[in-house]
Amino acid sequence: MAEIVLMRNFSNPDSHKITAYRAAGGYAAWDKARQMEPAAITEEVKKANLRGLGGAGFPTGTKWSFIPKNHTGPVYLVVNADEGEPGTFKDRYLLERDPHALIEGMLIAARAVRCTKSFVYIRGEYVEPWRRFSTAVKEAYDDGLLGQGLDIIIHRGAGAYICGEETGLLSSLEGKKGWPKIKPPFPAIKGAFGQPTIVNNVETLCCVPPIVTRGAEWFAGLGTKTQGGTRMYSVSGRVKKPAVYEASVAITLRQLIEMAGGVSGTGRLKAVVPGGGSAAILTADEIDVTMDVDGLKNAGTMIGSAGVMVMDESVSIPEALMVLARFYAHESCGQCTPCRESTGWIYKMVHRIVDGHGHKDDLDTILDVAKRGAGTTICAFYDGAVGPYISYIEKFRSEFETLIPHA
Amino acid sequence: MPKLTINGKEVEVPAGTNLIEAAQSIGVEIPHYCYHPSLTIAGQCRLCMVDIEKTPRPTIACNTIATDGMVVNTETDRVLETRKSIMEFHLINHPLDCPVCDQAGECFLQIYYMKHGLYDPRMKDEKVHKPKAVPLGPHVILDAERCILCSRCVRYCDEITHTGELGIFQRGDHSEIGLFPGRELDNKYSANVVDICPVGALTDRDFRFQVRVWYLDTAKSICPGCARGCNIDVHVNRRRPHHAEGRRVARLKPRFNAEVNKWWLCDAGRYGFGFVDAPERLLAPSQREGGSTSEVTWEQAVAAVAGALGRLSPEQIGVIASPKMANEDLFALRRLLDLRGIRQVAGQVAPRVPGDQDDFLIRADKNPNSLGAELLGFGGDARAVIDAAGLRRLKLLWIFDHDLLAGALPEGDVLEALRVVDTVVFTGSNANWTSAHSHWVLPAAAWVEREGTYTNFEGRVQRFRTAVAPLGQALPEWEIISRVMTALGASLSATRTEHLFRQLAEAVPAFAGLSYQLLGDTGHSLPTAGSAGQRGAAAPGESSSSC
Amino acid sequence: MSASHGAASTASGTPAFSEAQLAEVRRLQGLYPDKRGALLPVLHMAQETFGYISLEAEEYVASLFELAPAHVHEVVTFYTLYFRERPGRHVVAVCHTLSCHLAGAPKIIAYLKQKLGIEPGETTEDGRVTFLTVECLCACEAAPMAQIDDRYELNLTPETIDRLLEGLR
Repeated sequence: MAEIVLMRNFSNPDSHKITAYRAAGGYAAWDKARQMEPAAITEEVKKANLRGLGGAGFPTGTKWSFIPKNHTGPVYLVVNADEGEPGTFKDRYLLERDPHALIEGMLIAARAVRCTKSFVYIRGEYVEPWRRFSTAVKEAYDDGLLGQGLDIIIHRGAGAYICGEETGLLSSLEGKKGWPKIKPPFPAIKGAFGQPTIVNNVETLCCVPPIVTRGAEWFAGLGTKTQGGTRMYSVSGRVKKPAVYEASVAITLRQLIEMAGGVSGTGRLKAVVPGGGSAAILTADEIDVTMDVDGLKNAGTMIGSAGVMVMDESVSIPEALMVLARFYAHESCGQCTPCRESTGWIYKMVHRIVDGHGHKDDLDTILDVAKRGAGTTICAFYDGAVGPYISYIEKFRSEFETLIPHA
Repeated sequence: MPKLTINGKEVEVPAGTNLIEAAQSIGVEIPHYCYHPSLTIAGQCRLCMVDIEKTPRPTIACNTIATDGMVVNTETDRVLETRKSIMEFHLINHPLDCPVCDQAGECFLQIYYMKHGLYDPRMKDEKVHKPKAVPLGPHVILDAERCILCSRCVRYCDEITHTGELGIFQRGDHSEIGLFPGRELDNKYSANVVDICPVGALTDRDFRFQVRVWYLDTAKSICPGCARGCNIDVHVNRRRPHHAEGRRVARLKPRFNAEVNKWWLCDAGRYGFGFVDAPERLLAPSQREGGSTSEVTWEQAVAAVAGALGRLSPEQIGVIASPKMANEDLFALRRLLDLRGIRQVAGQVAPRVPGDQDDFLIRADKNPNSLGAELLGFGGDARAVIDAAGLRRLKLLWIFDHDLLAGALPEGDVLEALRVVDTVVFTGSNANWTSAHSHWVLPAAAWVEREGTYTNFEGRVQRFRTAVAPLGQALPEWEIISRVMTALGASLSATRTEHLFRQLAEAVPAFAGLSYQLLGDTGHSLPTAGSAGQRGAAAPGESSSSC
Repeated sequence: MSASHGAASTASGTPAFSEAQLAEVRRLQGLYPDKRGALLPVLHMAQETFGYISLEAEEYVASLFELAPAHVHEVVTFYTLYFRERPGRHVVAVCHTLSCHLAGAPKIIAYLKQKLGIEPGETTEDGRVTFLTVECLCACEAAPMAQIDDRYELNLTPETIDRLLEGLR
């Protein structure tokens, strides 16, 4: 289980420079991929069982194959570097420590989908990662890697979590508010500037060069039956060694917490958020799950962006929910009615409960409103909010009721 | 043409039809806010969800194109429950302003709540507060709390008027409709946003607090503001006159006509009805002798005018008709003039300043019936008649509607003409300088007080109908003319405008084949105007109505 | 993120870019299939140049894109990194989302309130510091943390905060 793929270069303080990247074998995958047919590259990525590592877990090769075959206009590759899911920080590390891995992944992906112009959307707050990546891009241009068949345009965001949603990102790229687009049409058919577009997460693309050099079978074998490879787990909260850890996607949550040094604070585990703030919470009894897309889906939650937040016995679940409810209310883009109106209202209710002014109907109201809104919105942001709304209350209801007078 | 099933009923629709339109074509209403047939799809309100076979979750109907074999259900328990949920979401922060909101009675939050909501509200927290009663421009006022952020008004200003004044600022439940700070909503079609706003967020400043909409009566009519002939509804307040402060016409609303104005009406037309209830309305026939004016009876006035018409020779009589008169009025006048052989006749008075025109609805010609007037022989410039008067050739001058000093005619010539002609007769609805200097004033009913037809600049003949009774003793022009003819021993053989129109269609080749029945509610082209002017019903796939 | 530069302006006081900056605007616009794509980068430029984005700056930028000013205003009011009023010479943005909360962000925020004498959202009277609370900055492994101007300052304690504030002039 110890193979380090994505973080292989991190120990070198100069890992972000092209000289170091090449010295460590970088851009060999691109040399190989340039000799491959685009369809063959896609096939390899499919066989590798690479699944999106930004949140949705969609099979990457399948996504690439959605580009219409007979399209004569441009195809765009857009990299989602708008990392914003609470508890997640892996892309920040990749941008700062191994930007060339992303560039190499982009080169290969662009060839597979026949794209000549690509965009990297970096969240506005990531200034150092932006500088590192910009320097790497310049190095790649100077080295002739870019500018011959692929251009990379770096686009800084301006502060909105919803721009991490793929079509919200595209709207922002187009110079508008980050309002997600109604689907259909889907981005592979009609995306950025009305053209077929592939949106991929940073880490997902960083997996592509190793898949090309070492083969799909190897990558698939690192993981589970339905998801190949390793991934970078961002572990934080009440653990002794909060950090980013790379492991096979077959790792269990229990093993991951141990990797991070075990529970801090009281030392007694209470709950874990396994996949970023939008994932349903797991209790201390539920941590023997594999941290892959299907493993967590079957456990009623999701791996999402693999942002693992550990809570010990001293953590107040109602307070934690309040903090997340505040997040969703602040980040709701406001475009569609169910999310716009209820994220603010639910935050008010949870806040009131935490302050000791809850009404006895509040919990059932929150649950009912959340369930009624799920699945009715333009994008999955609200479904992400519903994850904590429902799971925190259903799994820790008595803790909430304690705060409500006459509950 | 795809064939699909909606609520068990099979229906065939043109390719590209969305499910809201497809359902509407068989009388099934799918409630919605943000969808409007004239605007791009927003998919924001989430109210139009329906169940589609083989689709796991309810889907919005506005963004779903009907395909062959699609099976749609708009009334499943799941759809009904979803609608209820969406209604609750819409009302979470909505202020309970109904008692003071103009939209009450025609508000789609009210209407859909009664039809699809009926849940007990459970929002006990403080609602989000936003600016209220903010004038956006001369005609529109905003209440941002009432706004459901459907974005119709924003899309309208982008896609229809291309003026882009409105935006949705900020995000989350603090999102707010507004103008760029310091600017105004002052395009020439600004008030259409009031019509398309489903709720009381954007309301009409002129109509504000006037009368509850359920007290209004309506009549289908045509705007007389220019030669476009936009189709309208005239809303009148007959039942609450004590609140109206003398104002019977409460407001005008556009009426859908696919061939003329679609859903829209310009502000000038929408607010141009003030003269109808203005103090300057002429209420009774009058005679001016020496320096004083006295009221007379219709008998006296008709007798005097008919007497002069009968006594004088035709070359001594000049008539200036008006392109604001209806086809029926002009035809009656034609009959009267032919009876006496009067040829010194005109209809046009050029405006002093050319009217504004755009590539949307507004026409430079600010008369509703110039083409009708022309086809009925009244296309000539009044200049010739004024000149004849100035040369002392005329002993009687009958002027319809015009204020001759307001146009491009030289002031001196007009003054001279009115000074030297023995008998000046004025027929019109409102007093003006010309009427004040006429010897006989015969009060005419305003356009909302009678029916008739206008011919727009494209040759479309359209009916307008009576909305209110004439003020005082005012009469439609055709009826005044009829009485004069009777006094001259002839008869119009018409007691209604429809009779006149029938005669007109038979006598004037340009109108051959037309009838009130053929005109219907959306009008019909003159036979020579080409096939473009067929019935102005909605094109396939385009519904005339929306909430 | 610090916005401390003086505003360039025309004689009448309305904000304007230099010729070199206008060339950069055009270059950016040319990178995108639709020039509107350059709006966010150009607004960042405007903020760096003028210190913040005033209504006049919005109108100016709108003219460079042939956009209705209302639509530029939509963008400026939607995103949190654009300042609509001149911020302090330094911006201290403390994360208060979940992992930072669990690591003690409320205490850090209370400490800053006390040290600076202002509430989150406000600027010190001497114009030195704008204090904000913000959502997840994605540095949860080093919580509690803040972004001060462009830099992420990690693993905050009252002592490190004292030292950091002292360095802000």
